[in-house]
Amino acid sequence: MADWTAQVFQNEYLPDGATDVHAIVTVTSQGTGQAGETGGGAAEAIIIDCSGSMGAPRSKIIAARQAAAAAIDEIADGTWFAVIAGVGLAQAVYPQTGMVQASERTRAVASAAVSQLTPQGGTAIGQWLLTGFEAFRAAPAAQRHAILLTDGKNEGESAQQLQGAIDAVTGQFQCDCRGVGADWDVNELRGIADALLGTVDLIADPADMAADFQAMMQTAMGRGVADAKLKVWAPQGAELLFVRQVAPTVADLTDRRVNVTPLITEYPTGAWGDESRDYHVAVRVPAKTVGAEQLVARVQIEVGGQVVTQGLVKALWSDQTELTTRINPAVAHYTGQAELAQVIQEGLAAKASGDEDTATFKLGRAAQLAAETGNEDATQKLKKVVDIEDPVTGTVRLKRDVAKLDEMALDTASTKTTRVRPSA
Amino acid sequence: MTCPACKEPVAGGDAFCESCGAELPAAATDRATLTPATRPEVAQSAAERSARTQLITLHAEPDELPAPPCKSCGGVVGDDGWCTVCGARASNGREHVTEQPTPTVAAVSDKGRIHPRNEDAFAIAVKDGWTALVVCDGVTTATDSDAAAYAAAQAARNLLAATERPAGSADDREQHWCLQVKAAALAADEAAETTASKGDANPPSCTFVVAITDGEVIVAASVGDSRAYWLPDDGAAQQLTVDDSWATEQINAGVPRDEAEADPKAHAITRWLGIDSPDVDPATMTVTAKGPGWLLVCSDGLWNYCSDAAELRDLVNAQPAEPLARAEALVDWANQQGGHDNITVTLARIGDTG
Repeated sequence: MADWTAQVFQNEYLPDGATDVHAIVTVTSQGTGQAGETGGGAAEAIIIDCSGSMGAPRSKIIAARQAAAAAIDEIADGTWFAVIAGVGLAQAVYPQTGMVQASERTRAVASAAVSQLTPQGGTAIGQWLLTGFEAFRAAPAAQRHAILLTDGKNEGESAQQLQGAIDAVTGQFQCDCRGVGADWDVNELRGIADALLGTVDLIADPADMAADFQAMMQTAMGRGVADAKLKVWAPQGAELLFVRQVAPTVADLTDRRVNVTPLITEYPTGAWGDESRDYHVAVRVPAKTVGAEQLVARVQIEVGGQVVTQGLVKALWSDQTELTTRINPAVAHYTGQAELAQVIQEGLAAKASGDEDTATFKLGRAAQLAAETGNEDATQKLKKVVDIEDPVTGTVRLKRDVAKLDEMALDTASTKTTRVRPSA
Repeated sequence: MTCPACKEPVAGGDAFCESCGAELPAAATDRATLTPATRPEVAQSAAERSARTQLITLHAEPDELPAPPCKSCGGVVGDDGWCTVCGARASNGREHVTEQPTPTVAAVSDKGRIHPRNEDAFAIAVKDGWTALVVCDGVTTATDSDAAAYAAAQAARNLLAATERPAGSADDREQHWCLQVKAAALAADEAAETTASKGDANPPSCTFVVAITDGEVIVAASVGDSRAYWLPDDGAAQQLTVDDSWATEQINAGVPRDEAEADPKAHAITRWLGIDSPDVDPATMTVTAKGPGWLLVCSDGLWNYCSDAAELRDLVNAQPAEPLARAEALVDWANQQGGHDNITVTLARIGDTG
């Protein structure tokens, strides 16, 4: 049995008349075991872009074959799996239909099959997802995860077709998405990964692909809890302003909400390994008199219909300013990190549309936030896109002749957050 | 009268069956105002209460009983102690608690006017010839400190009540109580520690003060900033305990008392009971009553408005003479001063002949 804990970080003291309560809830799972262990079974799909562009340069398709083989090697015995080639319409690579259970033999056959992958046809990611879903449906496994690789934009079908496919498979399987090269669309792939509770990342150098695929599959195999839900209760008369995952990546969960009762909303969080995730919960309640106290949120994790851990978010109205003016460092840190992700994305979008003033302002703010919140990775990636003249004031100058890959690296990494630095 | 569920006999006025814990129909409507902590005190005569304190019955723990509906909205209270509809904290039943085990001993504990709940607790033992008054004040900034304060006060009282007090000289008795109050502090600390939950970053904690009057022998001990005062009718009134607080450290360093106690940090305590307490060995003080007077054990909800022993005696003596009425009047007075904290007043009248 996995061991779950929920820790709440907040300043529960509110000044007279205040209505908004912010809290960071850190949920930690330990002892989750291996994927598929607790009944249900696990299934993996590896979806490899085999459009014509994957052959130019040839190093891409070669790296993709090796990466697929590296991922196949990590699939634990008994796990159902399939390899699918993304051509104009998706094609089963192995097995011919549905899925097979991993064994030494099936892994070897699958590896041999992926070594024959050849570039042909176009990019229709929606079709690939639907083909992946078909394969999953043929396997008796409750925990479903896919890896999707592409090198291009979704040009083989309309945006509506892609969205329709995403909607059709949302909640059916999780999907980690990877883009190789500089010709894919970060927003497009991020949209897929967000909806399918997966990660998105850029593989700048095809040579790094195998290691990345291996790591992704290892992570997937280490998720012993097939499905956990985040449940948030807020009292009658309260307004849930937002629920946001803030670590390890920023993701606004508001669009994923399911109303369970008028007071309880539920958010899918997918499978869990031994890990920690932080959630930022903001609730607006009617102001109460000084001295009043109220529970403003119960933040729970539910697995298999059972609440396994709970954090309580409270409000206590006080006239003691030394209590009410304290800013909780976790709330401040993640508020900054979430804004950082937003201004990076907005800044890059403005830059792409030729609005240099907005781009300079937004990326300047990003440089400031990255410095304030100690996000060294974001600072390094920002430095490839802007010259940071003063991180304290957020004064930057847009660089000329920025490599497309550097912008994409900044964009894809924008949602990755650093943890709160331990206090001295 | 018998319990409808298990047919065991039950006392009239009880809200729950003592045998099986079933809710009793007659009291159901009034149940929201009762909790295990206060329930036994309700509808009992002074004699019954006295007998109870001497027998030291242990009451059912709160979590063994079904939670009464939310006082604010009538909704269901969750296992976590908060309403599942409006988010109000479930009452701990201690908004205003009184006890008068004998005609000369009384206690009142009150929520005050600002704090959302009462985290003070008192416990009294009255036995042949001696009386112990215990007060614990839950630290508000730690979680569930009301539970720690209640458990600590009960544990200290129970330990003291179970001791065999020597019938010998005043010196023997003084020596006995000086040892016992230290043991009581340890028992109280142990009890407070049991209220902590695993991994609690801010575990429940509380202060501790006890004063015993055994004839003319008075022994007091404390950890934290709850206090005992000896207020003789004649002679100098005195504070028997020394606060473990920032203010006291300042006063000892030469800062004027008024100035130190007015500082926002004044109430920061330097020692407490609970799982994170560094040291719970209380300083003890003994005094011999040379004549009649009042033994007062209280939380800072009272003394914060009247700290000086002589002024406090004037305040106490300005109230009605009957102990319970006097304790109530002191609580009312503290509430009139603002009631910024929970207020607990326990009084024992000492030394009257006859």
